[in-house]
Amino acid sequence: MFGKPSRTGRALQYLALAGYLIFLGFPLIWLLSTAFKPPRELVRLHPTLIPSDPTVQNFVQAFTEQELGRAALNSLQVSLASAVLTVLVAMPASYALARFRSKLGTAALGWVLLSQLFPFVLLIIPIFLVLRQVGLANTHAGLVLIYVVWALPFALWMLQGFVRNIPRELEEAASVDGASRVQVLRRVVFPLLAPGLVATALFSFISAWNEFFFALVLIKTPELATLPVALARFVGIEGTARLGPLAAGSLLATLPSLIFFAFMQRRLSSGSLAGAVKG
Amino acid sequence: MTTLAERPDVERAGPGRRPNRFRSDRTAIYLLLLPSLLPILVLSVFPLLRGIYLGFTDARAGRNVEVSFTGLANYRELLGDELFWNSFKIGLLWAVGVTVLQFLLALGLALLLNQQLRFRGVARVLAVVPWAMPPVVVGILWKLVYHPDAGLLNEFFHRIGADGLRTNWLGDFSTALPAVILVGVWAGMPQTTVVLLAGLQGVGRELHEAAAVDGASTWHRFRHVTLPALAPVIVAITSLDFIWNFNSFGLVYVLTAGGPGGKTMLPMLFAYEEAFRYGNYGYAAALGNVMVVLIIALLAVYLRRRLREAN
Amino acid sequence: MLRTRFRRLAAATAVAVVGLGALAACGDGGGDEATSGPVKLRFLSLAWQKESLQVNKDLVAKWNAEHPDIQVEYVQGDWNSVHDQLLTSFEGGDAPDIVHYEASSIGEFSKQGYLADLSGLVSGDLKGQIDQGVWDTATFDGKVAGVPFLLESQVVIANKKLLDAAGVAVPPADGGWTWDEFQGNAQKLTKPGQYGVAWALKSPTNRVLNLALNYDGKFFYTDGGRTEVRVGDAEKEIPKRIHDMIYTAKSASPEALGMSGADTLPGFFGGKYAMLPGSVSLRQQMVEQAPAGFEWVTLPPVKGLSAKQAANPQTLSVSEDSKHKKQAAQFLEYFLNPTNMAALAKGDWLVPTGRQANEELVKITAGKQGWDVAADSAADLTVAPFQQADGYPEWKTKYATPALQQYFANKITLDQLGTQLVDGGKQVLR
Repeated sequence: MFGKPSRTGRALQYLALAGYLIFLGFPLIWLLSTAFKPPRELVRLHPTLIPSDPTVQNFVQAFTEQELGRAALNSLQVSLASAVLTVLVAMPASYALARFRSKLGTAALGWVLLSQLFPFVLLIIPIFLVLRQVGLANTHAGLVLIYVVWALPFALWMLQGFVRNIPRELEEAASVDGASRVQVLRRVVFPLLAPGLVATALFSFISAWNEFFFALVLIKTPELATLPVALARFVGIEGTARLGPLAAGSLLATLPSLIFFAFMQRRLSSGSLAGAVKG
Repeated sequence: MTTLAERPDVERAGPGRRPNRFRSDRTAIYLLLLPSLLPILVLSVFPLLRGIYLGFTDARAGRNVEVSFTGLANYRELLGDELFWNSFKIGLLWAVGVTVLQFLLALGLALLLNQQLRFRGVARVLAVVPWAMPPVVVGILWKLVYHPDAGLLNEFFHRIGADGLRTNWLGDFSTALPAVILVGVWAGMPQTTVVLLAGLQGVGRELHEAAAVDGASTWHRFRHVTLPALAPVIVAITSLDFIWNFNSFGLVYVLTAGGPGGKTMLPMLFAYEEAFRYGNYGYAAALGNVMVVLIIALLAVYLRRRLREAN
Repeated sequence: MLRTRFRRLAAATAVAVVGLGALAACGDGGGDEATSGPVKLRFLSLAWQKESLQVNKDLVAKWNAEHPDIQVEYVQGDWNSVHDQLLTSFEGGDAPDIVHYEASSIGEFSKQGYLADLSGLVSGDLKGQIDQGVWDTATFDGKVAGVPFLLESQVVIANKKLLDAAGVAVPPADGGWTWDEFQGNAQKLTKPGQYGVAWALKSPTNRVLNLALNYDGKFFYTDGGRTEVRVGDAEKEIPKRIHDMIYTAKSASPEALGMSGADTLPGFFGGKYAMLPGSVSLRQQMVEQAPAGFEWVTLPPVKGLSAKQAANPQTLSVSEDSKHKKQAAQFLEYFLNPTNMAALAKGDWLVPTGRQANEELVKITAGKQGWDVAADSAADLTVAPFQQADGYPEWKTKYATPALQQYFANKITLDQLGTQLVDGGKQVLR
């Protein structure tokens, strides 16, 4: 982006990147190390990175006691549905919000912001009551609905920012060339919006994947429980926890989001204006 | 696609230049908005209106409890509630601190991840680790980082021979708030980074090249090309970050439960305790209403300036 | 033409999404009880340790096999979120039938009317097994909100080798140290790099108020229907002694202040702390996590004027909204019979409230691993006034905890602590 930096510049960039990655990524290493430690090694005065007596017991316990496998499948289902639905709903809405300034649109955006602002804890009980009314308590569909609504504020605010960034002239030029409105949307707007959509899908997926409280109160059938709820059961009284199984389970729970992102991250750059010009 | 290069001023296309055709699709707008508005209406308007209303009542937790309208009584009490205002100040410090640091660090990281560096894919994936980790383990992890006896941080100082820097991070009155702010920055950075990274894709390379030909310095190009183009995204993400940070308390609750001596008692934690622990729904909702108004006022100042700059 | 197509696209999206919602709405709402067939009870349990989890599940499975007409569904909750979960489901009218929680927290729910009064539902047999003082911890406004079943007494766990090295003898199970002896021994166990004691005081209020009974410190006094907080010499005794150990004798580590019980373990196992005053359940971590060759002993509770402590037992309650309270109580009787209660207590390393269960447990374990001390401590556990006070949770979070944290961090004096606690009481108990 800034042309070719000098060699020292490059080195500094790598150094900075390494700093960032250590700061952001070290917990993953810690999880990995903890997941393979037996209980006695978890309370050392001088903790070591590499387990001196590695074990897979934590994984065995995590899976036999809490049925993490089934919980993970439940979570996957809910999170994918939330991600897809959020994108489908937010894309047209954000386009409308950005391109046609209407009172309704402004009100909607304001409302969305307000809904994020009000103490969430006070909304839980009424939301719970509404979902019970419509028969969605204790279903995954109910969870998906909440997660989509939850992700929409972010999605709408983000995406309408991205739409605004797409020069209107591009669309006009295309429609002058005889493209229909739908074609304009598909060929011009959609590819330029792709990075924003990726961010939105990712946001929606991960928030659904990690959401705890609604999953806890809304789902009462144990077979329908999601992963965060199952993981929380390794936490005990007053901040104590069964660290081994918790770390093992958490490690496995972290991976799907990372893999999902690994696949999506490419789309963060392709389809952009830059990509269209330079191969 | 070359249109862009020929018209570097398109970003500043004013609202006044709207072609007529776009305006006539009113029905279409409503249809486009409907799918998102409907669930929002069902799941947020009712609960929200109810929540706001509760702030003017004496609602309490309980089976078949009578609720009566008390007007401004809650707010009169609230004005004199020193503990709340104290915690509101801490909340502002926390939210501003976390949001600003988060934004600056995330911007730096996004710029780096946008470069043609080696291992860029891996780096991008590692950068979202805090976001991907289950929240239940995040609090426990950071407690272990800050543990006074066997914590990773103190152990690090011990190994490099700087035992003098060892501190009881979460227990000390002066380090507790900065320590939890750092955790807040860590936890929220990936989101901001991803959004900014996505936003950077919309900044045309051509603009940069054009500017580079004009002999503009890197800083100059960043300041006058990248930042303005990124402005709408920055405004959106920083506002949302601020709101989220102001509203988040789960992590801090796990780390310090508001201690030591109330130094990390965030206002949302305060409201949460009021509602869920003491069962004072009415008063808690009143706290919520007041915070909403104050935060909106703050945001309005911020958004107005930014949006004006952006247009 | 263009416009119609555009509209059609928008309309299609709208319809698709609305349709999805509608489809979801058709999904099974579940939950509603069938009118015929066996009675179904949901049991929210908070067991989390491996062993106790197994005992809980086994007992439920056994019950279900023996009672085809009353089926219990085991649902596992967790201690961190159970309060919010319960409040939400109580308010939403969707609570489990049987709820596992603790005495100090069910008071609010009982007063709010969400918990059934068990006094008429449990048998005289079960009632007779448990001391009145312990029943009182779970009785609010004359209503029994839960059956107390597991007690967590405060004992002292010590590093045997360090005691031996300092020439400190281990007291017998029924003859604990006085506070003076305890402080003196802590002093003997203190040397460079080693503290006699680690006081884990992250949640100082419950800790201090529980122990305050040693010196008859009640904190909450009720006269003629009016409750107020008073802090006299009796109340000041425990905080003062702890403070002395940290700042005057320097026999207690200041670093442990922000820790919860389990946080002190690395230091304890590493020889940095010689003694840990804490819950009897810490013994489990000793067994599971102590390094090879580490010797630990359980010392009896420390005595002041008495060895009395406030008890905060774990409880089992029945929801007021449950349609099958009788059957739920039946299950409780079974679940808490002496043999089962002993098994549950063993699984969680806690003290059973039932007398017979306690005897059985000492028999099974032969009193080893501190079970003799644990069993003996049960007699000293009783109800304290703060447990019955209306505004206690609010007083604790808003005033007592910050004030105690400031005092233990040496930022305010003992008198200032007293003033803050009393003033807080005035704010809350209006």
